[in-house]
Amino acid sequence: MHKLLIKNELLGCIQCGRCSAGCPVSLRTALSPRKLIYKNLRESRKLPKSQDIWSCTTCRTCQQRCPKGVSVMDYIIGLRSYQVERGKIEPTMRDALESILKHGNPWGRPREKRTQWIDDETDVRILSEGEETDVLLYVGCTPAYDPEIQKSARALAKILNDADVDFAIIGNDESCCGNEVKRMGELGLFEMLVEENTALFKKYKFNTMITISPHCYNTFKNEYALDFEVLHYTQFLKKLLDEGKLQISASIDKKVVFHDPCFLGKQNDEYDAPRELLKYLLTDEDNLLEFGRNRERSLCCEGGGGRMWLEVESESPRNAEIRIDDAKSIGAEIVATSCPFCQLTLNDAVKTTKSEDKIRVVDICSLIAENKFEETEMEE
Amino acid sequence: MNKDIFVVIEHRQERIADVSYELLTKGYQIAEKLGGEVIAVLLADDGDQMAQSLKSYADKVLYIKNEIFKNLHSEYYCDALSSIIGERKPALILFGHTVDSFEVAPALAEQLGIPIISNCVDFDIDGDFVRATVPLYGGKINGEYSFNAENGGIISVIPGAFKVENPQKSGEIEKIEFTFEKEYDDKEFIEFIEAAAGEIDITQAEKIVAIGRGVKDEENIDMIKDFADSIGAVLACSRPIVDAGWLPKERQVGSSGKTVKPKLYIALGISGAFQHISGIKSDTIIAVNKDPNAPIFKVAHYGIVDDMFKVIPALKAKIEEMK
Ligand SMILES: Cc1cc2nc3c(=O)[nH]c(=O)nc-3n(C[C@H](O)[C@H](O)[C@H](O)COP(=O)(O)OP(=O)(O)OC[C@H]3O[C@@H](n4cnc5c(N)ncnc54)[C@H](O)[C@@H]3O)c2cc1C
Ligand code: SF4
Ligand code: SF4
Repeated sequence: MHKLLIKNELLGCIQCGRCSAGCPVSLRTALSPRKLIYKNLRESRKLPKSQDIWSCTTCRTCQQRCPKGVSVMDYIIGLRSYQVERGKIEPTMRDALESILKHGNPWGRPREKRTQWIDDETDVRILSEGEETDVLLYVGCTPAYDPEIQKSARALAKILNDADVDFAIIGNDESCCGNEVKRMGELGLFEMLVEENTALFKKYKFNTMITISPHCYNTFKNEYALDFEVLHYTQFLKKLLDEGKLQISASIDKKVVFHDPCFLGKQNDEYDAPRELLKYLLTDEDNLLEFGRNRERSLCCEGGGGRMWLEVESESPRNAEIRIDDAKSIGAEIVATSCPFCQLTLNDAVKTTKSEDKIRVVDICSLIAENKFEETEMEE
Repeated sequence: MNKDIFVVIEHRQERIADVSYELLTKGYQIAEKLGGEVIAVLLADDGDQMAQSLKSYADKVLYIKNEIFKNLHSEYYCDALSSIIGERKPALILFGHTVDSFEVAPALAEQLGIPIISNCVDFDIDGDFVRATVPLYGGKINGEYSFNAENGGIISVIPGAFKVENPQKSGEIEKIEFTFEKEYDDKEFIEFIEAAAGEIDITQAEKIVAIGRGVKDEENIDMIKDFADSIGAVLACSRPIVDAGWLPKERQVGSSGKTVKPKLYIALGISGAFQHISGIKSDTIIAVNKDPNAPIFKVAHYGIVDDMFKVIPALKAKIEEMK
């Protein structure tokens, strides 16, 4: 029996099918975790060669729902890593991984341009080796390079400055956190990043790290052995609010719905901080709507698990499109989220469902910044 | 140190490889320092036309003619080159670092007893020395190498390392009918096999016309296709066009599609989302978009702010006029 089956408790499986029933991509692709397990246990104890595993978004729904404690998602990631070891990986994912190895980011962008998101109006301190700060803002690859998401990074920096937080960033030496690397099955590269990043963080003195992406947050918090506190920015801003260091006045009188990012919600049980922040922004708390599928049942946007660099064949609409349709049907005007990937997938879905005049997808920190600093770049 | 720079021209099916032009351009920077000339060395059989097209790029085209040079045969190449080089003693001999030169350049260095640095991305001279940059470990780090070039030396450079500029020279063509003393019958050229023409591979296209949601309707694609054909470009698109089923997935440019590297990329009605532009590696991007704030204009080298359906017919008419 392969050690992957033992490690992930596959023998405990009772074939109840809860995993597949909850799987957001089994709706639109051939991936069925239950079937995969069945085949692997009944038909052949060799690892299945199925390509279906690549449509998994590593949202963790299956693993969370399994009544028998089978580590379904970890098993799928394990299967990927066996394929990766044999060089079986889609070229787009391979390119992203190669770029991380070479440039420290998956987007094929030069390392020297990692701080390009900082514009003239954004005041951010870049740490030199040995320097000290209270809060280290880990920017992350997508907020650093994607012009659309750079807005979130700038918004957050402005908010932190306004709240007099002593914060700084690492600058061009910052590298990919590796969350997606691990989930694409490139475990060797992931280990290397863990080592390098851990050594990098030791060069500076700080108490708390905050991240913009829940993906970075997840891996730093759960998969590194770090000796400082790691928070997602929504958690940190909520703390500032509670301590009276951040003031938000109610100004939005639109109907808002929050899309739970899998890596903040399902994977890290943080459902409340973003909602609390939104409540402060709304003129009427009742305007905070909820999706039918929310919190631990939130429909994954398909941005995780390396799927930013892999398209799957399907006749059915993307989950992000379903999400936007759901938002429209409950009468939401703003879909707020707190994850760069969710922002990108949902925003794209706004376009493909032709909903531009009905729905706006926006990051919570951009909403707060707009609220606080009237003439902001975000409104453009 | 000698003064002239030899660039060994690579060609296949009577077409000169881009890297040869890149090397000629770089050759001028080096020759200037040395006070020497750039000489294109063309080993060919039917090479008159190629020699003509090299004229404006070199001070001189040394066209070495022999039937054998119709196809690459490394032994004959080495013999001819070492005889010419032995006579004329250039300062440096430049090759593209390609499958063709893998067979020739190191053997030639050995035959002539001169140093070689292969797989370079850059090089320069420094007194009697040549210093070259060579990527190592899959490009993760660069190594600096140097050799004493008093007696000449060889550098082979990765294609795409330098930009091409036409120096507008009018080099004379010196044609030498070459004869061989030695014969090699252990190796024989059999056949040239063209890559299978299957589904269009946009990653290999030199010119691309790409459409985005600005195209509005599937019906409008024919007109754009006509325009693309008229300039010899291949049609590509953004993801929503594939989503709509208007073009096949193979045509999608971007982080979850293909990475393309054409000389010219014309983006029509594409906003320029990061996921799209991260798939474009092009020297010249021209964008047509109604919206002056579209992010595509941040990466475009030329931009036209207007309705693409007005711009295309006008462009097409102009191109017809120039033909
Ligand atoms: C995980 C993920 C992966 C993705 N991968 C890719 C990818 O590989 N490739 C890709 O392309 N996208 C990808 N996307 C989608 C990407 O984020 C954008 O949504 C998409 O590229 C936008 O396509 P577009 O520019 O055609 O459409 P839009 O953004 O809607 O832009 C249309 C543009 O056309 C202009 N326009 C409209 N009418 C006219 C006219 N008559 N004349 C001139 N201009 C006009 C408008 O001003 C607008 O700027 C991905 C998204 C996600 C979430
Ligand atoms: S992690 Fe999510 S996408 Fe992957 S198999 Fe489990 S439920 Fe499906
Ligand atoms: S939920 Fe758990 S027990 Fe049920 S089929 Fe899936 S893996 Fe097996």
